[in-house]
Amino acid sequence: MAHLSRLEFTEQELETFFRDLNNILVHFEKLDTLDLSNVSPTSHITWTSPPVNPDQPVEWGREEEVMRAAPKVEDRYFIVPKIVDKQEG
Amino acid sequence: MNNLKITIGLEVHCQLSTRAKMFCRCGTDYIGKGPNSLTCPVCLGLPGSLPVLNQRVLDLALQLALALGCRILPKVVFHRKNYFYPDLPKGYQVSQYDYPIGVNGSIDYALQGQRKSVRIKRVHVEEDAGKLVHEGMALMPDQSGVDFNRSGIPLAEIVTEPDIRSPEEARECLMMFRSLVRYLEVSDGNMEEGSLRCDANISLSRNPGEMGVKVEVKNMNSFRSVYRALSFEVERQKVLLHEGKEISQETRHWDEIKHVTVSSRGKEEAEDYRYFPDPDLLPFSIDEASLMNIREKLPELPLERKERFMLEYELTESEAGVLVSSKMLADFFEECLKELNKPKTVCNWITTEVLRNLKNLGKNINQSEITPKAFTELLRMIEKKEISGTIAKSVLEEMFTSGMNAREVISKRGISFISSEKELENIVVDVIENNPQSVADYLGGKQKAFNFLVGQVMRQTRGQASPEMVKNVLYKQLSAGG
Ligand SMILES: [Zn+2]
Repeated sequence: MAHLSRLEFTEQELETFFRDLNNILVHFEKLDTLDLSNVSPTSHITWTSPPVNPDQPVEWGREEEVMRAAPKVEDRYFIVPKIVDKQEG
Repeated sequence: MNNLKITIGLEVHCQLSTRAKMFCRCGTDYIGKGPNSLTCPVCLGLPGSLPVLNQRVLDLALQLALALGCRILPKVVFHRKNYFYPDLPKGYQVSQYDYPIGVNGSIDYALQGQRKSVRIKRVHVEEDAGKLVHEGMALMPDQSGVDFNRSGIPLAEIVTEPDIRSPEEARECLMMFRSLVRYLEVSDGNMEEGSLRCDANISLSRNPGEMGVKVEVKNMNSFRSVYRALSFEVERQKVLLHEGKEISQETRHWDEIKHVTVSSRGKEEAEDYRYFPDPDLLPFSIDEASLMNIREKLPELPLERKERFMLEYELTESEAGVLVSSKMLADFFEECLKELNKPKTVCNWITTEVLRNLKNLGKNINQSEITPKAFTELLRMIEKKEISGTIAKSVLEEMFTSGMNAREVISKRGISFISSEKELENIVVDVIENNPQSVADYLGGKQKAFNFLVGQVMRQTRGQASPEMVKNVLYKQLSAGG
């Protein structure tokens, strides 16, 4: 999984993750015992008043960190392999 | 073969005029900004970031859907549309699927004086993707650059039913969409800058009772290219049908330079976007009271306003059409009428001189210095024959550039404009005395001689009197037996 997400971890971190993931899986197994035959697969609760943002821009101001973390940056663009089978738009 | 039935439906995207993005607080004003300067963890799709809806996105979308006469669905539900492309940082686009903002509306427009109606299937909102750059910089041929400034900017998508019968109608209908979004001030509707985009599907059928094979046309970046691309498709498909060939169901791109549509290579085999409700954005109910509030505040829409202008102010369709093409201009016109109730005069000056000056300055009426009060004061001076129409035009030009009012311009230029017939009398008497032959000719019935005398007076006044007033005074003096 670490390989899939292209993240690097120490042995110790990996151990912690393993334990956490295991707990999550155990939790799902518990959920599996519930009878949900009358509930549609994608339904969930509805917010009455959802959290919303006001329409006022705020600068995040930490773009440099993202630039540094990106595999390749040129003139502030993130550089990616070219994909030609889909046209712009 | 001539009785082919053309069927066109439009899919219009417009950028909603918000200051912040749809699910984060980054600014939307990306024009002229450096790449990736308007970004944050949410619109960069960084792990752990959570979207929060910008309230204004919902308000604008509701205004648009209501103005299109849609039924508003009681809940707001966001879905994830999954696909992989480098301009989409999360690997999905937050969009709406089976539960859009509004459904079953319509838009009316007029073509050659005939009112037409197109049904609206749905109006929904979604976030924009980033922008890929394939050229420039030190890019390898197999590389692209990504700028996420546009990522997360709110878009509204409007899908029409296939009720459009010709490329002209398609263009006209799209222009009405632009007018509408501008009237509502939900979008600036600028096709060149990409804040209004349009895709179309078109089919031709020999049998009016059934639809032909649907072809999607994309990449039309102006009203003209919508018209041209669809006209090209009509011709292309006509030829195919005529030759007894099959039309294949496909997506084609308009080539702006070669003026042809080109089939998109492969793909589009019914893409599976695996839509599912976004677990980060739970559904919520639309509050009835705020919906009522939005409904009540909807402005008068362009077509209604045009028809009212024709009826109430006795303007022609084209005059009214020019005025209502922009809400600001139509508002300016009606503000002017409060100062000077001469619709025809005000309309003539706005549709010619005012628009010419605005075009030269590259501004719209609200950005310009001119106010309805200052403008109508100038018109009133012409009415009272204080200045000639020609002088007024150049005075207006300076009012536009300097922001001064008419009287200030006139006194600054040292134009001691002749504002009363009394002042003109001396000059007229002089001219009559110095041109006895012409006076005799005129009295002998030669109209040309009168025009010559008018010209002489105009020359003496260096154009500062209005020709009408000169004619008046001259006529009076001559008939008084001068
Ligand atoms: Zn952001």
